[in-house]
Amino acid sequence: MEERRHTSSHYEKELQEIKNDLIYMGTLTEKSIKMAMESLTERDSALAQKVISADDEIDRCDAQLEEKCIRILALRQPTAIDLRFITTAIKITGHLERIGDMAVNIAEKAIQLNEEPKLKPYIDLPRMSGMVIEMIRNSLDSFINENLELAEKVRQQEQIVDDLNEQIFRELLTFMLNDSKTIQRAIYIMQVSKNLERIADHSKGIADMVTYMVTGESVRHQEQSAD
Amino acid sequence: MDANVIISLNNVNFYYGQNRALTDITMNFRKNKVTALIGPSGCGKSTLLRLLNRMNELIDDTRVEGDIIYEGKNIYSPDIDPVEIRKKIGMVFQKPNPFPKTIYNNIAYGPKLTASNTGDINMLVEQTLKQAVLWDEVKDILNQSAMKLSGGQQQRLCIARALAMKPDILLMDEPTSALDPISTAKIEELIEELKKDYTIIIVTHNMQQAARISDETAFFYLGNLIEYNKTEKIFTKPDVKQTEDYITGRFG
Repeated sequence: MEERRHTSSHYEKELQEIKNDLIYMGTLTEKSIKMAMESLTERDSALAQKVISADDEIDRCDAQLEEKCIRILALRQPTAIDLRFITTAIKITGHLERIGDMAVNIAEKAIQLNEEPKLKPYIDLPRMSGMVIEMIRNSLDSFINENLELAEKVRQQEQIVDDLNEQIFRELLTFMLNDSKTIQRAIYIMQVSKNLERIADHSKGIADMVTYMVTGESVRHQEQSAD
Repeated sequence: MDANVIISLNNVNFYYGQNRALTDITMNFRKNKVTALIGPSGCGKSTLLRLLNRMNELIDDTRVEGDIIYEGKNIYSPDIDPVEIRKKIGMVFQKPNPFPKTIYNNIAYGPKLTASNTGDINMLVEQTLKQAVLWDEVKDILNQSAMKLSGGQQQRLCIARALAMKPDILLMDEPTSALDPISTAKIEELIEELKKDYTIIIVTHNMQQAARISDETAFFYLGNLIEYNKTEKIFTKPDVKQTEDYITGRFG
């Protein structure tokens, strides 16, 4: 469909700026997750520290984006698609900020795990983190391009991540049952997995908001009874 | 006709000379609701408003096709007296236009002239000024000229004057565009109050005003009714792309 621009070029620019800021914030969170996972797999605690300090920038972006959105609500009084766009943007920035926090959680667990001998080779966790990074990217792409199919794909990917999390949990359970000395490390790894699973949830949250933005229909709590 | 419908248009076309200003308009206005007519200049919204109480007849070389049904009859049938229609369907204009008379006589003039209210005129004056939330401001100066009132007060006086004729429907053509924000807020507040007893149809260029005060919104473009929906729907998720483009400022 032909996309018309606002008569007010300033308004158009402000909305574009929100998009750009969200993309930037998305790349920051991606980078944090990658670094956090690398600090775990490569046993690089200095890298983990970088993830922790990089979170300030994500928090700053979140605060700034929210302020910009509130300003537009107050001064432009957006309606229809613009209103749904702004409310969606406010929610997305919240999700991305939380994703940043999860990356910090993973980095903190990596630091603790790096101080002990490696429990097992990391195979499923990198697969999981690869998928959640793709989910973040897909959810933001679906937002920028108003792409409902991509939003739907994110919802499906979330299920896969859930299953991986379950699988890792079961595997670690056998470690703990066999040898109680592994319990501490196994719990840390479980927490890493759980944090990745939460990131997938937040990506799905973004995808759900995109569906609302495009269709005006809320899909957020449709599967709650199944959870 | 649905009991909630007060006036309905069926396939209405309207022409200024050769120019068609409204094309095939079919719509129902609901009783005790505020309906906003929006659209860019020249879209036909004011023309449509004036059609509803036969004000367009006062302009030469105009022609109406189709039916406008009010109380079971086409208001354009030959046996209908336009003066009677305008009593039941009152109008408030963009610029306050009080008569150059006292405040009291602005209200009393119409009822006295048409003898539609032979009851107590003093009571009617007080009652309608109260309805228009003007009474407290003017009760001690009823014999002063209405021209001395502020613009916002004059507009409320004009609304009171229309109410004195005991109408069913109030048509308002941009009633606040000449007023400051406080006076505008007072008129908007008044409109919310009045819809309990009257049906209000309002033309406005102020989109936020339409969003604030109306229950239903009709969007017109180039003489066509593009979308007619609940106001909340229009301003959150309109069905038609053209409506969305207009209300979000992507037009022109």
